[in-house]
Formats: sequence, structure tokens, C-alpha cells
Amino acid sequence: MPERVREHRRIAVFGGVYANAEALAAVLSDARSRDADAVFCLGDLGGFGPHPDRVFPLLRESGMRVVRGNYDEAVASGAADCNCGYTDPRDNHFARISYAYTVGHTSSTDRAWLATLPGHERVRLGAYRVLMCHGSPRRINEFLWESTTPDGLLRRLLTDYSADVLLCTHTGIKWQRCVAGGAGYAVNVGAIGRPENDGTPRVWYALLTAEPDLRVEFVPVSYDHEAVARAIETEGLPHEFAETLRTGWWTTCLENLPARERARGRF
Amino acid sequence: MSPSAGARLDVPRAPFVALSTLWLVLTGTLCNLRCTHCLNASGPETPWLAPLDAAAARRAIAEADALGVREIYFTGGEPFLHREILPLLEHSLNVAATTVLTNGTVMTDALLDALAALARTARYSLEIRVSLDAPDAAGNDRVRGAGTWQRAVRTIQALDARGLLPIVTATAVDDAPDLYDRLRALLSGLGIAKSRVKILPVFPVGRAADESGARLSEADLEGFDRATLQCAETRAVAADGVYACPILAGLPEARLSSGDLGAALRPASLFHTACVTCHRTGATCRNA
Repeated sequence: MPERVREHRRIAVFGGVYANAEALAAVLSDARSRDADAVFCLGDLGGFGPHPDRVFPLLRESGMRVVRGNYDEAVASGAADCNCGYTDPRDNHFARISYAYTVGHTSSTDRAWLATLPGHERVRLGAYRVLMCHGSPRRINEFLWESTTPDGLLRRLLTDYSADVLLCTHTGIKWQRCVAGGAGYAVNVGAIGRPENDGTPRVWYALLTAEPDLRVEFVPVSYDHEAVARAIETEGLPHEFAETLRTGWWTTCLENLPARERARGRF
Repeated sequence: MSPSAGARLDVPRAPFVALSTLWLVLTGTLCNLRCTHCLNASGPETPWLAPLDAAAARRAIAEADALGVREIYFTGGEPFLHREILPLLEHSLNVAATTVLTNGTVMTDALLDALAALARTARYSLEIRVSLDAPDAAGNDRVRGAGTWQRAVRTIQALDARGLLPIVTATAVDDAPDLYDRLRALLSGLGIAKSRVKILPVFPVGRAADESGARLSEADLEGFDRATLQCAETRAVAADGVYACPILAGLPEARLSSGDLGAALRPASLFHTACVTCHRTGATCRNA
């Protein structure tokens, strides 16, 4: 049966919730105030943050569409690790702690719900065919960083997956590009669960509008990050996770950053 | 694992999934060093695998671009011995993020400055990987040659000072479990705030070859996702053809085409003892 493709004029899209219910609530509130006619989440609901169970009611009650991330897939299936795609021992050390905590604090009901999430979502935004995924359309945990995602690859993905606009997350740092040669657009919507390694605690989501030409805006959102940082500490999670929320600088899971993105951070 | 055998009928293969990573064996096996574990037995003598000429390198980069390549790597030998490395690097960085694997012993200040300028203006990320096999001179120089530790460390500091954030890459010659932590401690002690360390296993090929070693069989791979092997998404272009991966570049049994990249996009035979290492360790030659 062919996929049913919904049509929209303006959509809000975010990824990487990372069990940050405070940020999620703030983003949802902000998106509603900006006249978005649909909201989409590109996955990774757990990780880093405290009380992963608190994000599920917010997501379900909002009625938004949620795409499955590697974390969601791993938690749902009871996998041995998060399949985040890290290769560095230090990254994997923190990923293991985060994953064990998240699995231990996710109910069987929520795990069953995670198992129902689709791997991708297609919508029409004005004249544009939009494809949403977590990492890339071909691999759930592929890191599409701005400095290591060439136009040639984006052209190939847009062609192979029949899309004009590709939306992804997984890296945690936003970027957008009009692909050379008129092939289409790529937008990494960033993450809302931790800041984007820019020295501020704010997080970002993307607002896309067909006017009728495509307009992409990244929207900064502030939330009570101190409350979440304190909860991380209370839950006995690594203090590095709390430090990142307070300072805006990544302290863990940054060894896979390309040189250009790594140079912009403090660590 | 199956024992070594001459004409084996059950040599498993890895599927070809996509060309994500292109390796250019830029200087073939020409190198100023002669490391004891070198996987293609590079050295200063006449190379058994010839350097790649610039036109062939450009052709491969153009082909890879059209195929949707994600990353490009320059290796050898020692890639900075190639006369046209800088223009080739500039060309490659206009297509995709590009990494150079170097031993860090032949880089002048002028070259370092040129790389820094290139990194600032390039469209995609420039990565420099510097080989250092131990956090101490004695351990490193035993493998890589006298005086190499000091020269490589100087290069690492010089790259870091220019904002190039080198990835220090060690081959785990002694299998020391704390090598990663000790290298990070070394870099921290050198004042390098953003230390980047990659550890690779010793591959039983080249100077570390072990012809008596085990080979993979179909039974070994039962239930294993072969698409996760790097040869499912990698091809290495050398002067005499295209190979499934940089580790086996130059070996006739690993050659997939005589020069055309497109013709090499087909399943690769997992015939070598080094394939066991990839399967067992999950190692990738990529940066991450």
C-alpha cells in the first residue's frame, strides 16, 4: 500500500530529546506559538538526561509524529548497547552509563511504544517532498556533520530516496544547505536534549515553511536547564552530563566530532 | 576459524553496500621510515607498490564524487612525500572531508602553514592523523625507528598550535590495555587540550604477516552482519588497481579492478588473515 503523505505549510522539527523533559516542554510550547501546523521529532528520546519516562507523556499527548532513533531502537529491542556509532573508548564509556540508566528507567509500556515508531516520515511541504530520518536515510546511526557531509553524498541520498528536502538529526549540531546543482536541501535539525557545544545552555529546533520557496529557520529555546542538571546529579549520572547542560560545552561523546566542529568547542 | 588452505572453496565474501570511503594509496609503499609492523611493508627502498600519479588520483576523486562518496583518505607510504600532495588535497577537500595519514616526520613549518591555510578555506574538514605507537620514545622508536617519537611529537604540537587538531593514531603493538589512556595523558602533558587518539590493532599483513594464521569461513560469519565490515563501504585506489580496503591494497587476490572505480563496486573476498582481525575486532581504518 502506498505511503499516505500529509501536506503542510509550516512544520517544526527537532531531534535528540535525550530524556530532557524540561527542554521538550519548552520547545513544544514555542513551536505552538509560531503557527506550526505539525510538529515532528526525529528520535533519540533517551540518553544523557534523568527520568526518561517523563518525555513519553509529553510526546504522546501532543499527537506529534516521532521517528525512531538508534537509542529508541536499542531500548525497544533490549539491545546490549545504544548503537550510537561511537568508536572511541571514552565516548563508549559514557554511552554505556547513559544507556544502562535509560534502559533501567524505561517502562515496558514505553518500550513497547518505542517499538512502534517508524524509521522515517514523509510529508509534503508546499511543493517539496520532505523525508525525515534519524541519522541518514540509509543508516539510523550515520553522523551527518556539516563538515563531513559532501554535496555529492546529499545528491545521492536525495535521488535514491526520492526527496527534495532531507531532514536528519543524530549529531546534535544543526546545519542547513542548499545542495549545489539544484538537487535539493539538507537540514540537520540539531538536538533539544543538550546544547550544541556553543557555550550557551540554549537548545535549537528547526521551523520549515513553504512560502512557497523553502525557508528554514533555527529557533533557539531556553529552559530551566539548572533543574535538569540538578536532577542528573541527584540520579547519580555523571557530573559531566550536568556540566554540559550548565555551560553549553560538550564534555562527553565528542571524540567523533570532525576537526572543524571540534575546534569550535571548549574540550 | 578455518585453518589456512590453498584453494579454498568456501571463502566468504562481503557485500558491496555503498562507496562511503575512498582511500588513495598516494605514495604506494614509498616511505622514509621502515616500521616493524607496517601493513604494506613500506620503506625508503624502491616501492613494490608504485605511487599514484596525480591524474589518476583526480580521476578517482571525480568518480567517487559522482558515486556519492562521504570521506576521502590519503595514505601510503608517507603521503607527504608525494610532490603534488597540496594541490591534490585542495582538490579533494572541494569534494569531501579528507584525511591524511602521516608519520609526522617529514613535515616542515612551511607545509604545516600551508595545511592550516587550506583547512581554514576548505569546503570540508581536513583531518591529519599522525602515527605514534607509544607514549614514550623507547617504545615508539623500537617500532618506528630512532628519533621518530621526538619528530612526530613535534609535529603533533605544531599541528595543534595551528588549530589542526591531529588524531594521534597508534597501532597496539604490545596489546597494552592502557595505551589509549597513556597517550591521552601524554597529549594532556604536552598542553594539547583537545586530544584525539585512535588505536588500531596489528594487522597480520605486510611486515607483520602471519601466513599460518586462520582465515574466515562461512561458518565463522553465520549470524554476523557483513555489511558492518569496512570493505562493504570502502575502496582503495592504488597505482595498479582498485582494492577492497587500504589494508590489502597491492595484493593481487584483493584487486577488484585494474583501475576503474565503478568496476570495483562488487562483493569482496574475505580471503586474508587480516580479514579475521577486522571481523574479530570490529576495527575501522576510518577516523571514527
